[in-house]
Amino acid sequence: MHNVLIIDDSDINLALVKALVLKLGDCSPTLFDHPLAALEWCRSNVPDLVIVDYMMPDMDGLRFISAFRALHGRNEIPVLMITANDQRDIRYDALLGGANDFLTKPIDRVEFSARVRNMLSLRTGQKYLADRAEHLSSLVDERTAEIREREKELIFRISRAAEFRDPETGAHIQRMAHYSQIIALGLDLSIAQQKLILEAAPMHDVGKIGIPDYILLKPGKLTPEEFEVMKGHSRLGHELLKDSRSEIMKAGAEVAISHHEKYDGTGYPYGLKGHQIPLFGRIVAVADVFDALTSERPYKRAWSLDDACRFLEDGRGKHFDPMCVEAFLAGWEHVLDIRQRFRDEEMPQI
Amino acid sequence: MAGAFVLDKASILDRLGGDEKIFAMMVDMFVQDVDSNCAALATALASGDPAVLRREAHTVKGLLATFSDDIGAENASLVEQRARDGLVADQAEAVAGLQQRLREIAAVLSAG
Repeated sequence: MHNVLIIDDSDINLALVKALVLKLGDCSPTLFDHPLAALEWCRSNVPDLVIVDYMMPDMDGLRFISAFRALHGRNEIPVLMITANDQRDIRYDALLGGANDFLTKPIDRVEFSARVRNMLSLRTGQKYLADRAEHLSSLVDERTAEIREREKELIFRISRAAEFRDPETGAHIQRMAHYSQIIALGLDLSIAQQKLILEAAPMHDVGKIGIPDYILLKPGKLTPEEFEVMKGHSRLGHELLKDSRSEIMKAGAEVAISHHEKYDGTGYPYGLKGHQIPLFGRIVAVADVFDALTSERPYKRAWSLDDACRFLEDGRGKHFDPMCVEAFLAGWEHVLDIRQRFRDEEMPQI
Repeated sequence: MAGAFVLDKASILDRLGGDEKIFAMMVDMFVQDVDSNCAALATALASGDPAVLRREAHTVKGLLATFSDDIGAENASLVEQRARDGLVADQAEAVAGLQQRLREIAAVLSAG
């Protein structure tokens, strides 16, 4: 159903145009005998066609078209202006001023029907193109979301591959990723950044995939030489991820290279201090250590939550960024919830 | 105003695609509105405002043309053009002629 807006200060013309529009079928006319009232209506309604008289009180048809075109989203809507036969100059002005076509008085039904149908066909085409553009846009969004989901899954599985060669569990990477997100929230990072760290944090130890088993799986304490090799996992992880075009992979590379740096400069691989350490690295450091401490492993018992918190507090300004520790403790209720959701024997999806 | 109005129903219907219903509706409206249209012309003349007289004359021109009254529409057009040139006071006779024409047409249309 086409909504046809008709504006004419003459009742008889208004009735005539309405009757002719109804004769076309599939049209719903909306009538105004005053252009200002019609313009007000147009602020909250979008007609499919405007038929407007030229000479009207307060605002002539040319000024109406100009004001109508200035409204948001009304630039493409077809406009027909009604003029008298002897108003050629006005017709030129109308066409130059935004009218798509004109009708002459006295109105001839054949001419009227042909011009109105043409304008409504134009409008139908416009709507079809707009709908198609919207449809295509939603398809692109859908496909992009699918690709992003696959990317997330791939990242999770890569991270798991590294963890399989390590005493850590799949639940560990889920917990530490969510702890990282809690810290990001506490630091007032944007929603996008919170999401990014949630997705990138699982890759913090992906470089362990390149560490020989005799070191990675060694039950006892590592020798200084072995520990040097072990420390190489930060660089390996970074090398693996750094050249990706994916935002998540790039963030993962940053996390991999920086999560063993310490706030006081005693960490590795570069011995960076304070804010020289990338923020994501400072965040993941807190999340990773807390979860490692509070998790039971074949070679150690789990620390109590109080002891682990004390360790974090004692490490403020030394191992950890004080702001990150504060943000983590501020989200304590969420931390407990994450511990419940991701237990070592269970592994819900991210 | 020269020449009595003769209803050319065939030409009007031709423009309306032969639609008798629309024709009947227009006749009813014309007859119903004739007094107010005449009054609007009088008010415009009395106002001394050429823009108002121009607009009313334009409206009457359209009405007369709709009923295929070429002579009446031409006279209304003259009033409109003179008003566009700023002339009002000396158009009393022409305006009276338009009013008379409107009533004449209404009478013819009413007679059926």
